[in-house]
Amino acid sequence: MLELYSLKKSFGQVDAVDDVTVTIDAGQMVGIIGRSGAGKSTLLRLVNRLVEPSNGKILFNGRDITKMKGRDLRLWRASCAMIFQQFNLVERMDVLTNVLIGRVAHQGFLPTIARHFSEAERAMAVHSLDRLGLLPQALQKAGTLSGGQQQRVAIAKALVQRPEIMLADEPIASLDPANATRVMEALRKINREDGITVLVNLHTLDTARAYCDRIVAMRAGRIVFEGLPNELTRDRLNSIYGVGDDADFEIDESVTSTAIAPPAGSQARQTTMA
Amino acid sequence: MTRASDFHDIDLVNAAMARLPDAFRRPLSRRLAPAIITTVLIAPLAYSAAAFGATPGRLIEGLSRLGNILAFMFPPHLWTTWPEWSEILEGLGETVVMAFLGTLLGAVVALPLAFLGAKNIMPLTWLRLLSRRGFDTLRAVEQIILALIFIRAFGLGPLAGILAIAVSEVGTFAKLFSEAIENTSRKPVDGVKASGGSNVQAIRYAIMPQALPVILSIILYNFESNARSGTILGIVGAGGIGFLLADRMHAFRWSEAWSIIFLIIATVYLIDAASAWIRKKLI
Repeated sequence: MLELYSLKKSFGQVDAVDDVTVTIDAGQMVGIIGRSGAGKSTLLRLVNRLVEPSNGKILFNGRDITKMKGRDLRLWRASCAMIFQQFNLVERMDVLTNVLIGRVAHQGFLPTIARHFSEAERAMAVHSLDRLGLLPQALQKAGTLSGGQQQRVAIAKALVQRPEIMLADEPIASLDPANATRVMEALRKINREDGITVLVNLHTLDTARAYCDRIVAMRAGRIVFEGLPNELTRDRLNSIYGVGDDADFEIDESVTSTAIAPPAGSQARQTTMA
Repeated sequence: MTRASDFHDIDLVNAAMARLPDAFRRPLSRRLAPAIITTVLIAPLAYSAAAFGATPGRLIEGLSRLGNILAFMFPPHLWTTWPEWSEILEGLGETVVMAFLGTLLGAVVALPLAFLGAKNIMPLTWLRLLSRRGFDTLRAVEQIILALIFIRAFGLGPLAGILAIAVSEVGTFAKLFSEAIENTSRKPVDGVKASGGSNVQAIRYAIMPQALPVILSIILYNFESNARSGTILGIVGAGGIGFLLADRMHAFRWSEAWSIIFLIIATVYLIDAASAWIRKKLI
């Protein structure tokens, strides 16, 4: 169970994350939605401490994450694997080594310099790549892969960390619909089969609705909604995405959708257009 | 629909002018720029021609003497005995070896220093700026001056040349390497850190794979350049082919001097081609 208490992060005058209190139950797949700049990325980066909180507390299974440092912090980061929008792989290195980087928290100084990984670790990486259907690409340079493949390499790397939580920061924002679907399916599979809690930032609403057990919505650093996907009504969406004074503005989920099948309701729109 | 031909309509043009006047006229500073640039370039040229006495007469006289020297180019001198050849080839080899060792030594010393000067590695601003100024100082002293200093200390010969190349390269390499390190993407670093990586691991797995090909390419290029400029070190007595070249020139043995110059050109060309090939493989 991951608990955040009055978590706050200020960059200068701006509060990117402002007094966030939320509990994420183990094994859930939780989507975080909100406008660009609402603080979704910062929230995830606070959880693995890539960003230091200005205030507040993070607990995981009762342990205080905010106080950790050194080796403890590195082991915590290993146990809450992060997936990035831009994949953040080392493009010049081969796919296998990129996956093995998932084991760095357990690697000593000399093996680091020699880039040495044990056979057990290599086996983990091979197994993990196989699971994501990327074994044929294992010895290619990561930069030669397509975006969707790179994101799946990132997931394979996350898996060898043996994580308890997976933090995915806009994992499909740079991908085409087919690859986006494969990546989301992979995340769901990991959530269901391995029981890993998944916390995923999304900016496509229909993806959040389709894949997440629960949805948390942020606006200007604060949580403005927390509940089941079907509780996200039109009114609530307008308050999350802030149409402001533009009265005619309506959020059309089919515009931002990355789904291959048209979302429900697009049929009706087509007939009215004709 | 509006077509391009519609814009001949004066009303449309006027309307567009009213909306964004700056799209139709260049600011004064831009219009004056060519005149200013020409003046700034021409004026010093005219001044220096007058100040250094570059009269047409002197230029013509110099050109005819240059013609005499150039005339010794053909046919190039061909040494007929092996001892003559081996002396020249040894000199050439010495220059190449000096360039290689000096470059390598400079690179080995510069690499750790480069991390001190890289913004994304060294958080202490004062130490970073201090090391940067240090690199600048090393670079400010010309290789040939360093060579003269090292000849005093270590005597005539290639050792002084190697040290001169190495020391001046430390300054150049440290600056270029730290820029290569700074130009790496931050994203893989986040990727390694998010997996629980330490700073050393972030450097090893995220920064070095990005920077190393650039660094190797810089080393190769500077090796090339040192093989070229290394000839000059020989002229002041710091070893290599330059000594033989200066000797032939002082003795007015121009045809031999030209043959040596041709051989230097051929060697440099070979090194250029080889290092260009390796660099292409690296990047």
